[in-house]
Amino acid sequence: MPKIEVDETLFFDLVGRRMEATELEHALETAKAELDQWDRTAPASERVIKIELNDTNRPDLWSTAGIARQLRIKDGGTIPEYGFFSREGDIRPSEFRVVVDESIQKLRPFMAGFVISGKPLGDDMLRDAIQTQEKLCSNFGRKRRSISMGMYRIDLIKWPVSYKGVDPDSVSFVPLQMNEKLTLRRIVAEHPKGKEYGHIIAGSPVYPILMGADGGVLSMAPVINSADIGAVQVGDRDLLVEFTGTDMAAVCLATSIVACDFADAGYEIKPLRVDYAFETPFGRSVTFPYYFQTPASVDSGRVSRLLGDSIGPEQVVEALSVMGVRAEAHGQHIRAWPPEYRDDFIHAVDLVEDVMIGRGMASFRPERPRDFTIGRLSPIESFTRKAKDVMVGLGYQEMIYNYLGSGKDYIERMNIPADDVIRISNPMSENFEYVRPSTLPGLLQSEAVSSKAPYPHRIFEAGKVAFLDDARNYGTSTRQRMGFLCSHQSADYNELAGVVSALLYYMGEEYTVEDSVDPRFLPGRQARILIRGAEVGVFGELHPAVLANWGITMPCAACELDLDSLL
Amino acid sequence: MDPRSLLKGLHPLEIKVLLHYAPGEPLDAVRLAAELDYVEGHSNQAQAWLIAKELAAESGRTSKAVYELTPLGRTWLETGTPEERMVAFLQEKGPSAMPALCQAIGMEQKDAGSAFGRLSREGVLSMTPEKLVAVADATKSLRSAALKALLTKAAGAEGGILEESDLNSAEMSLMAEVAKKRGSGDAAFRAAERETVTWTLAPAAAAVSALLREAGVSGEELGAVTQAMLEDGSWKGAAFRSYNIKSRPARLLPGRRNPYVQFLESVKDKLCSLGFEEFDGGLVETEFWNGDALFMPQFHSARDIHDVYYLADPTKAKSIEEPYLSRVAETHENGGSTGSRGWRYGFDREFTKRLVLRSQGTVLSARQLPTAKVPGKYFGIARCFRYDKVDATHLSDFYQTEGIVLGEDVNLKTLLGFLEMFAVEVAGAKEVKYVPGYFPFTEPSVEVHIKHPVLGWFELGGAGIFRPEVTEPLGVSVPVLAWGIGIDRMALMALGLNDLRELFSYDIENVRLRRALVK
Repeated sequence: MPKIEVDETLFFDLVGRRMEATELEHALETAKAELDQWDRTAPASERVIKIELNDTNRPDLWSTAGIARQLRIKDGGTIPEYGFFSREGDIRPSEFRVVVDESIQKLRPFMAGFVISGKPLGDDMLRDAIQTQEKLCSNFGRKRRSISMGMYRIDLIKWPVSYKGVDPDSVSFVPLQMNEKLTLRRIVAEHPKGKEYGHIIAGSPVYPILMGADGGVLSMAPVINSADIGAVQVGDRDLLVEFTGTDMAAVCLATSIVACDFADAGYEIKPLRVDYAFETPFGRSVTFPYYFQTPASVDSGRVSRLLGDSIGPEQVVEALSVMGVRAEAHGQHIRAWPPEYRDDFIHAVDLVEDVMIGRGMASFRPERPRDFTIGRLSPIESFTRKAKDVMVGLGYQEMIYNYLGSGKDYIERMNIPADDVIRISNPMSENFEYVRPSTLPGLLQSEAVSSKAPYPHRIFEAGKVAFLDDARNYGTSTRQRMGFLCSHQSADYNELAGVVSALLYYMGEEYTVEDSVDPRFLPGRQARILIRGAEVGVFGELHPAVLANWGITMPCAACELDLDSLL
Repeated sequence: MDPRSLLKGLHPLEIKVLLHYAPGEPLDAVRLAAELDYVEGHSNQAQAWLIAKELAAESGRTSKAVYELTPLGRTWLETGTPEERMVAFLQEKGPSAMPALCQAIGMEQKDAGSAFGRLSREGVLSMTPEKLVAVADATKSLRSAALKALLTKAAGAEGGILEESDLNSAEMSLMAEVAKKRGSGDAAFRAAERETVTWTLAPAAAAVSALLREAGVSGEELGAVTQAMLEDGSWKGAAFRSYNIKSRPARLLPGRRNPYVQFLESVKDKLCSLGFEEFDGGLVETEFWNGDALFMPQFHSARDIHDVYYLADPTKAKSIEEPYLSRVAETHENGGSTGSRGWRYGFDREFTKRLVLRSQGTVLSARQLPTAKVPGKYFGIARCFRYDKVDATHLSDFYQTEGIVLGEDVNLKTLLGFLEMFAVEVAGAKEVKYVPGYFPFTEPSVEVHIKHPVLGWFELGGAGIFRPEVTEPLGVSVPVLAWGIGIDRMALMALGLNDLRELFSYDIENVRLRRALVK
């Protein structure tokens, strides 16, 4: 979930009025956003508001202008008109042109952009644009894999610009933050950004480059800008903003979002025509910003059914307009045009949610459910509780443990082979590298840390264990087990045998015991428990070697029963 | 101290002394033995306890020498003293060399030497020119006879103890010869000092004695109610001693349930009472159920290597259940028949088989859908695994509480109704509010915030209506409400803890001392 910082002055200018914290908090609910931090002790010109955005499908909200726009419209503002958008059959004239070469088609085929003009670039918008670039390209653009963004100084560009794939060893330029000219391959290998993002293109025979008609390099997308054309500063006028990527709709949406942000902040947006050497989802020649979205539709009946209130078509249209969505009703049928900066109406239910937010949560009264259903615990939960009650009657204290642990605790200290233990390939640390194959390590860990607790110790735990099991589709089995352990001067096999006998008597089971050779227990003082011929558990005196592994100096006897097989 | 407060704590041994004697009367073990029939231990106890309560004080202390017959002394009495055995042996076997004599009667050479010295001075034994020990006149040994008499006298005394006053001067000088203070293992008598303490009741005792008389306490009250008493009816008419009910009870180490588990069970019981049926599942899942079936695109950031634990070996399931796999794949790619446009990417049918540790409880909700009843309500409290650094607010494995409601007519308002029920019934909330939320698998989505009586406003959970892209591929055509509530903060508060790690404490004593959940 992205977290952004907005410039307080710019933000409230764009919202249209100032708000206090409580009011802002409430207003942010419309954008599924939360006020994270707002330090009002800093000087007014430096104050920032930190906001956390929850909706990963609304990248338009991840900027100062974007979130301010949503609040402004909800607050009664009109839906903004962005006249610079080209639409199918209605293309804006453009004085700037980019040519996309077929050499880039297999690597990173899509490119879009626009020019901002009209006033010098302010510090507030430059900072915001840098933040937008980071959030859009890392979260929405999958760490620049599907989208990356660049800004350039128009006065240094010779048009038309070309976007193409070039030989990484024969083209070179001076990248930002460096002084010397490097080949594209060396930039990928040596520049910090090359090390971070170079892997996206490194496997390709050609690397993507944006180049002016005079051969001046703008950037190597998606890695780094050039140190001249690509070095943007506060006060610059007339900037090219471009996006490249692998998904035309995503590149196009990112372009629209940033264009609307600059337009809201009072900049003029000039269209950019991009001529492709190949077909794209929006044609061979596309003028950006481009309205590519298709209308979404929903029936008012569906809205009413899902939201639980009778909401007529006109009310649906009204609620959507509060959210900045233009819509028209044709009978029950509502046709909605996503705003230029949004592309998240994947299904009719996405419109239903905008209706919900547009009408306000407070307008929906909670209702008691009418359907009658019978509640019940799962059979294994009910059964486990009965077994646990018997254990408490036998003087045992219930424990509960984590399910992840170390190989040292689950394998080495237990003197068991690692064969059946589930290992995690990407553990956070070796302390949480394995899934527990048994409840016994937890009980021994308890004993190991509790030598100062008055004796006798009698503890048990019921819960899940999991282990490798080749016969299963997932190669693993999860079982409900109950382990118990007693520890005191004379804890021995016989005491546990008595407990096992009492427990299974009360659980209504006839059992027999057979010799066991479990390395965790002392030979000759351990038994397998069999019910109707099937093994359901094991118990005995813990092997002194195991106790020594845990640093335990008190005799222990323990048992583990498989509750699933008793059920 | 208030004499009344002392009354309850008096033992019968103290009571009888208080009733029999007045302050100032000299008391000692001999007197209590004679007059109250106390054995020495009892009078010592009565004395110590009364002194501790400041109802009595020591008035004097005398010590006298006593001689206690040792086990060796008793053996000598039975089998003869070394001198007697030496004479008897020589009389029977004739003259003998010293080493052979020692060996025959089992005596150390030095002890035999001093015994021979004493006997030869008395003229009982003599040494022949051949250096053999021989009997000269067996009737002459007065010392042997005197020792025998002393041993016999001691054996007849109580406890085998002779006091100085029991002995005449001849006996005294012999005793001085044969008794030892230390190392009495090889002597016939052990010499010791015995102290006799005299004490008196303090003036304060008078008030206590008066209260005892007033209450009719005799000190003859019975202690334990015995089986014999109940069988023979001797309890009838008897008085029973009052116990000191203020004394600290003995600590027990009982069996008990774990309070955190009980908390989880109380939530389960509450959900059952609201008509929910519990579901359960395995700890190992596939990317398919953990994310794909929930319509989370395979490139979603929450499906990153830094969010989910992968199995090292095996890494993939053998297969994914059909027709769900094909339907879900199609829904991701283009929406399939759900009315959605899908995520518009190529669904990876190998990635979906990858094995992970269940990272969200919603997996179980998705798994329940193909077999769920309509109407139906289901819940689970599922152990989930997250790639998180373990600290006071994060665990690598923890419980999530999740559920679903299926019904022809369920909608947002019923969802809010359920959330309100959870807030009030499960969390004890006084105020509830709902705000729009975002979850990849529900639309619309809401968050429920509650005002808890102790914790204040916090987010209790998230909920929504499952997207058709989740339900329809799994064969469900009615709306499905899905919800999850966070109960860990309430658990910590109920248990008086502030660190999540303590919920899974290994410490036996720590869990022993936790109070039960009474509220």
